[in-house]
Amino acid sequence: MSAAEQHFDVLVLGAGPAGHKAAIQAAKAGQRVLIVDREAAPGGECVQRGTIPSKTLRESACYLAGLRARSEGVIEVSVPAQTQVASLMRRLRAVRGHHEDYLAAQLERNGIVRWRGRARFLSSESVEVRCPDRSLRRVRARFVVIATGSRPRQPEHVPVDHEHVLDSDSILSLIYLPRSLTVLGAGVIACEFASIFAALGVEVTMVDAGARPLAFLDPELTSRYVQAFERMGGKLLTGRKTEGVRWDGSAVVTRLADGVELRSEKALCALGRVANVGDLDLSAAGISLTTRGHVPVDANLRTVVPHVYAAGDVVGPPALAATAMEQGRRAMRHALGLPLHEAGEVVPVGIYTIPEISGVGLSEEEAVKRYGHALVGRARFEELARAHINGQADGLLKLVADPAGRLVGAHIVGEAATELVHVAQMALVGGLTLEAFVDNVFNFPTMAEAYRVAAIDAVAKMQVATKAAA
Amino acid sequence: MSLSTHAQARLPGWLHDLLERHLEEELELPILPEASGRLVTLCEDEKCDVQAIERVLERDPSLAAHVLRIANSAAYAPKEPIVSLHHAISRLGLGTIRNIAMGSSVQGKVFRVPGQQTRVRSIWVHCAVTAAFARDIARKLRRNVEAAFLCGLLHDVGRPVVLQATVEALAHRTKEPLPVALLETAMNEFHGPVGARMVRAWNLADWTAAAVAHHHEPEKAAPFEDEARITALADELSYWALDERRSPADFQPEAELVEALNLYPDDIEALLAQRGRALEFAEAFQ
Repeated sequence: MSAAEQHFDVLVLGAGPAGHKAAIQAAKAGQRVLIVDREAAPGGECVQRGTIPSKTLRESACYLAGLRARSEGVIEVSVPAQTQVASLMRRLRAVRGHHEDYLAAQLERNGIVRWRGRARFLSSESVEVRCPDRSLRRVRARFVVIATGSRPRQPEHVPVDHEHVLDSDSILSLIYLPRSLTVLGAGVIACEFASIFAALGVEVTMVDAGARPLAFLDPELTSRYVQAFERMGGKLLTGRKTEGVRWDGSAVVTRLADGVELRSEKALCALGRVANVGDLDLSAAGISLTTRGHVPVDANLRTVVPHVYAAGDVVGPPALAATAMEQGRRAMRHALGLPLHEAGEVVPVGIYTIPEISGVGLSEEEAVKRYGHALVGRARFEELARAHINGQADGLLKLVADPAGRLVGAHIVGEAATELVHVAQMALVGGLTLEAFVDNVFNFPTMAEAYRVAAIDAVAKMQVATKAAA
Repeated sequence: MSLSTHAQARLPGWLHDLLERHLEEELELPILPEASGRLVTLCEDEKCDVQAIERVLERDPSLAAHVLRIANSAAYAPKEPIVSLHHAISRLGLGTIRNIAMGSSVQGKVFRVPGQQTRVRSIWVHCAVTAAFARDIARKLRRNVEAAFLCGLLHDVGRPVVLQATVEALAHRTKEPLPVALLETAMNEFHGPVGARMVRAWNLADWTAAAVAHHHEPEKAAPFEDEARITALADELSYWALDERRSPADFQPEAELVEALNLYPDDIEALLAQRGRALEFAEAFQ
């Protein structure tokens, strides 16, 4: 039975990173906010099945890989045969619980009303919410933010049964380590899981039709990732199209277009994600999807309907949690007429492969395109004392500056890359030059010393070029 | 430790105490004679492959349990604890599985209680249907399918053990047929803890023991509440599916259970639509 329509200033659909930040921003601005999510706990896919669970598993894998590297063969370090993924994930319950509690408390503290249910537009102003107990509720709001996230794509030729052929959600429920794993795809999720399972001693084969994995990244970084993956025993097959996948009763058989058949105990389908918009009936709100199934928005996350915004995975790439949070906040600030800074190049990208990859600002190629020429400095982790102490001497930090020496980008592959990148992010925000890294003293021994090494390298090249020109 | 779930205790005190003592002893899960025969025939066939053995095992809780018990025993000393049927088969290989299956068929205690074999058969059918539904629920929730299946398959393994123990305990007291209600009460009261004790003795995973022990009270299964909830819902679906008179509208699961699993009405409808497949699965070898 439908109750009377309730009114709010802001209705947020989805309580993942984008929805959560949009709701908090609106509440901080004094709005009466309702957030609707199909899950009981806030956090969305990020907390329940995505970012946090996979990073928890990664930490366990890294711990073992790190221990192996630091031991220098003094002690034999391998994943004990009896190790189950379930035990590697033992910390997940606690980590997830803490984060859910924190998010729920934050919503409550800001007076945000939460409903559990699935939303559907009745018009651009009115939304119906179906609750798990079959009851229906109606809500009207001045502004609506669509932040319903995404789920793994299931291509027709890959029958994901969550038993033998898994997706990025169900792979986290494994109860034993498979002996072998075929990973379909070479994007962020594929590369993350491929490296995690390779580090755990699983025989991993990654297959993709593209020429190289993580194709949107600087090739110097991806080639380092590939080398590390292959050193862990991983096998990469690029430029190979998958024609079909089947479970033959004893193994998963992946048939490639060239006739080759790969046999593995399990397979992971990581061929992209699709926006969760199926239940929303967006046409009732006057919104059509893009050809890739995303909600089209402008630079301020506004849809074609002026009071309806969208943020996070539903608007398409980069579909990263940090970006989604900023999008949610930005959408709400724009809706409420609050001051906005430029939507920028200073949002970092973090990829939790082993080793980590991270970047912020322009790539070398983009800088050359923009300025005609770019200064590039490199620090190889083998040059850093701390990297050797940590047993993580395989890595690279690459700084990109404009011809005048002002930093415009930084790209890192190696352990702690996702933390290190924030030094560059702040330098970009502050408009610092390479000299700032050369002239300032860093703690020794640290990984951050890589900035100084890379800056010295770039400045030296600049001086050589200047001399040559003179 | 008490083996009964006292909340439902309605047995006469003397019988309760007698059973409690009896069930504290080493327990063995009896195998139905025809199941044993089926597996021996299969293993004797030289053309028999691993899938054929798996198909038999995953429809018979007693055979599955025996194979897992032996696979986890010191005799085979697996390098890792075996946690599912597929895991056992993939790690041990056809030859070993064949030997284990043959051994458990030949050496396992055969269920021979006159007049009660039909009851045990129906318990096993219920378990197989529960396992099939548990697999569907796990797929929907992106939980581990193999674990859910095994929890469903083994959730009532305590029932025939309690049944046999009750019949044996009363054999010297009366020659009259035992009242059905009394046997049901004994099974209802003891099957969870007895089943869990056996599952632990077979070195199966903690979540399997938790689901077997608490599928009637999933909130007590911490930290494996979800495994117990999946088993509990599959259990309800199985009872519904096996009762031909009940239509989809008659399926009224516990609201708390459905809510805790975050299943919506259309999810439940999708599960109910699997009725035919679940029954076919269980009946394949009946």
